Order: sequence, then structure tokens, then C-alpha cells
Amino acid sequence: MSDTDTIEPSAYFFGYIGVASAVVFANLGSSYGATKSGVGICSMGVLKPDLIMKSVIPVVMAGILGIYGMIVGVILQGKVSSITAQSASKQGYAYLSAGLCCGLSSLAAGLSIGIVGDAGVRANAQQDRIFVGMILILIFAEALALYGLIVSLILSQTS
Amino acid sequence: MNWGNPYDWTAVEWQSATWGERFMYIDPYFWSYFGVALALATSIIGASWGIFVTGVSLLGSTVKAPRIRSKNLISVIFCEAVAIYGVIMAIIMIGKVQTIESYPENQMSQCYTTALFGGYSLFWTGVSVGLSNLICGIAVGVTGSGCAIADAQTPETFVKILVVEIFGSALGLFGVIVGIIQCSGASFLKDCL
Repeated sequence: MSDTDTIEPSAYFFGYIGVASAVVFANLGSSYGATKSGVGICSMGVLKPDLIMKSVIPVVMAGILGIYGMIVGVILQGKVSSITAQSASKQGYAYLSAGLCCGLSSLAAGLSIGIVGDAGVRANAQQDRIFVGMILILIFAEALALYGLIVSLILSQTS
Repeated sequence: MNWGNPYDWTAVEWQSATWGERFMYIDPYFWSYFGVALALATSIIGASWGIFVTGVSLLGSTVKAPRIRSKNLISVIFCEAVAIYGVIMAIIMIGKVQTIESYPENQMSQCYTTALFGGYSLFWTGVSVGLSNLICGIAVGVTGSGCAIADAQTPETFVKILVVEIFGSALGLFGVIVGIIQCSGASFLKDCL
């Protein structure tokens, strides 16, 4: 029946690609979100310095994406190190998939947070009723990364 | 599951195998899990694309017409629904992939072929669901952007453009329906056949 002695070596290769892609793509998204909103804050802050601290919210939300990537990276790294021989290649591909899910979702969320944050802080400087609307849209954008995190954690539980 | 040599090829057959024959030896589990990742990741890219296209126009138009702010958040919610379609499909597909622990005596090649069928169907489910949701997210986003701008000028146009947006969000639903039918044939059973 199934061979329980040897672990398929490529399982580690694909598993660690998963770890790397979770961290790398999530950080790409996080950095895009922070920089794009940051440019908006700096432009807006020239004329309305009192609004700067309130406008830092998109940057904080983008920073959270990097944390999601790190969480999934650490969890997957522990799982990849302890791949069992029973279903080694299946686990390797599952961890690859988990890393890609978290990383690419956080990348997409970061793009969205950055662009919406940039437009939002500039519009907020002109019209203060926009603040609540900007926060709501940013929350929806952040939720996308959360969906990726949830599916990654489900995938990381494969045995 | 260590597939080994499912079709019992000899060394000579391995030497003269075409690329198409070697392609079959890519692990079925790779195809399944990569399909899951594709379904989720491309759906979420579509949703985020829609959110930022709509969000930018919404925020810009609200500067001069603050009354449109709350009503037009529905466009953002339509885009979020696209991401949820992706999550639902990913969870359904993960449920289809189970560990094959053993196979009936002397039926390794049938077992492997069944698993390969399952892997291919899950991969292409991921492609069809993911790409439909990507396109749907962009469609809803662009329409929502137009909706916000029009609403800022002429409030009567809001509901009319919302109807267009509903048609747009049906694209994601089509993808999910086809995806569910597509992955229904995939089966990775504990004892293979």
C-alpha cells in the first residue's frame, strides 16, 4: 500500500515556497498601502496639518497586512518542518496553496487600501463628512486580506 | 500518498516518453491545491480592484455632494460579495480533497487516473471561478464609480445605474454555479476507488 518510510523531498520545496510567498506578497501589499496613502497624507498635510494624525489610519490598516503575512509564514514554517510521510506531497502542495492565498489576498488588499486611502485623505481635507465613508471603504478593503488569512489557516490544517 | 510508478513503465518506456506522457506525472494534489489558491486569490484581486475603482470616485464626488456617501457604499458591498464567492468556492474545493490512504489490490493505475481527473477538475474550477470573479469585480467597480459620479449630479440616476450593477454582479454568480458543477465530479476517496 502506501510507503510510510520515505518523505517525498519536493514536499519541502513547495512548502517553503508557500512560506516565502505568504511573507513576500503580504509585505508588498502592505508597503504599497502605506506609501500610496503616505504620499496623500503628506500632500494634504501641507494645508491642513491638524488632520494629519486622523489620516494616518490607512497607513495603520496597511501595516496590519504585513502582520497577517508574518503570522501565516510562521505557522506554515512550523507545519512544513513537521511534514509526515503518510501524505507528504499533499501537505507540501497544501502549504504552497496556503501561502499563496494569504500572500496574494494581502497584496490585493494593500493595493486597494493604498489607492482608497490616498483619495480618502485628500478628500477628507476638503470635506470632513467624508471621514466615516473613507473608514468604511477601508474596512471593506481590509476584510479581503482577512478572508485570505482564514482560508490559509484552514489549508494549513491539512494532514 | 506516494504514487511511485502508477502505470508500471519500464526504464525503456521512461526514456522514450513524450512530454505529454510526463505531464501526467505532475501530482494530482498539486493541481487541486493550486486551483484552490487560484480561485481565492483571483477573486480577491477582482474584489479589491472593484473596491478601489469605486472608492476613489465615491470619495471624490462626496466632496461636493456629501449626501451621496452612504447610499453609494452599496457598490462597495457588491464588490465585497465577489470576494465572498471566492471564499465559498475555496472552502468547497478544500472539502473535496482528502487523503488517499490505500487502493484496491493491483488497481494503482485506475486509482491514479481517478485522482488525476479530480486534480484537473479542481484546477480548472479554480480558473473559471477565479477569472469570472476577477472580471465581475472590475465590472461592478467601474459601474459603481459611474453610479457615484452620476448620483452626485442627478439623484434620479442612482437606482437606474444600480440595475446595471446588479447585472454586473450576476457574472460572479455564473462563475460560482459553473464552478460547483465542475468540481462535483472530483473525488479523492480514502480508499481511492
